[in-house]
Amino acid sequence: MKNDLTYSKAFSELEKLVVQIEDDNIPLDTLADKVKKANELIKFCEIKLRTIEANVNESLSDKTTTGRKKNRN
Amino acid sequence: MSKPIKLSILVEQIHDTIHNRFDGETFWITAEITDLKATHLIKQYRFLQLVEKDGNNIVASINAVFWQSYLKEIDKFEKLTQRNFDNGLEITCKVRVNFTMRYGLKLEVLEIDPSHTLGALELERQRTLERLIKENPKTIRLVDGQYRTLNNSLPLPLVIQNIALITAPDSDGQRDFKNETTKNKYGYSFYIKEFLTTIQGDTAHKLILQQLQLIEKSQEKFDVVVIVRGGGSQTDFKPFEEYDLAKCIATFPIPVLTGIGHDRNTSIVDLMARQHKTPTKVATFILDQNFSFEKNILDLKGRLTDMANDLIESAKTDLREMKRLVKSLSPSSVLNRGFAIITINGKIITNPKDIKLNSQLQTLLKNETIYSTVNKKSQNEKRLDI
Repeated sequence: MKNDLTYSKAFSELEKLVVQIEDDNIPLDTLADKVKKANELIKFCEIKLRTIEANVNESLSDKTTTGRKKNRN
Repeated sequence: MSKPIKLSILVEQIHDTIHNRFDGETFWITAEITDLKATHLIKQYRFLQLVEKDGNNIVASINAVFWQSYLKEIDKFEKLTQRNFDNGLEITCKVRVNFTMRYGLKLEVLEIDPSHTLGALELERQRTLERLIKENPKTIRLVDGQYRTLNNSLPLPLVIQNIALITAPDSDGQRDFKNETTKNKYGYSFYIKEFLTTIQGDTAHKLILQQLQLIEKSQEKFDVVVIVRGGGSQTDFKPFEEYDLAKCIATFPIPVLTGIGHDRNTSIVDLMARQHKTPTKVATFILDQNFSFEKNILDLKGRLTDMANDLIESAKTDLREMKRLVKSLSPSSVLNRGFAIITINGKIITNPKDIKLNSQLQTLLKNETIYSTVNKKSQNEKRLDI
């Protein structure tokens, strides 16, 4: 999986794959590859999503907010 | 030359003449105060001179006195006019002519009519305001009855932390302002640099001006300048009615907050700056300003949290849906449901026409592959509806 792949890119690629897989006319020999690829993307998205969630939660938690204004002295 | 007489005989004749003419009579006069002596230590009387001027020339002048029982007239006057009873003021007062052999001629002041002085002060105030507008058309304007100046149009910083405080040392104003800001319920801290000066009397406006110049030249960056003066009986507004000080404040590059009077007073300086009446009210305003900033931040944080959670939740749902779809479409799911995949020589067959009689088929099922030879083919009678 490419390093610069974003969640949005991965998800839209996944959507395209699913549309292709849903197509009745898909040659069966490419189906397995596409399913494999789709599963990889799902895994990537799940990890990415969990990382994003953890990052967001950390940023929003109290320890990283500024709290009371500090005296300049 | 006739024979000299004793001084006392002449003075007595003067006394009698004056007495005959003026005894029991009182007069209302208008005159300017000069040569006012400081209050007597035991507050028994106060001496001054009353003069009438034509331009700069004195055309009449006479000694005058407030005896002890009339000193309250001065207090009353100061309260009403918000001015120190001082040299240079023009007053209208009721007087009685008094002559004593020992001390000579004096006017005894019995009553002051403050309305004349109030009128004169108001006139002077209007003249100062008109001059401010006329001579500073770019920085001082009258809009809908409000004075819009460069200074009071400056935006206030969202958070006020660094304060230049102009006040008198050890004054109520200084104490009130510092108490309110340093012991606030929100726990905000402030950096307050004091610029101490006299805030009453003839030279006060010049001294305040000097402090403003120091603030402007200072290396430190102040969010606001606060000018406060304590409450109580301090009533002298004169420094805050002076043209030079008003002009300096109107054009000052840092927002100026004033707390120099009481609820019903507004000086010219107040009009040029942002008026908050008392030192405590200035402090409250600053705290409110900071709190409203913090409240905005907290609101935004709340909205951000909600938004982020919503986004993540909806992404999770979408992903779960995708996962389900992919799983149901994958060949292994298809085989699990009892369907089979037919291949000939490893090639998946989707078109039955590719299968001839005697073809060698491999049929892939869930766990096993069946090898078979085709011995019959026929068309389905109707389309399978499975």
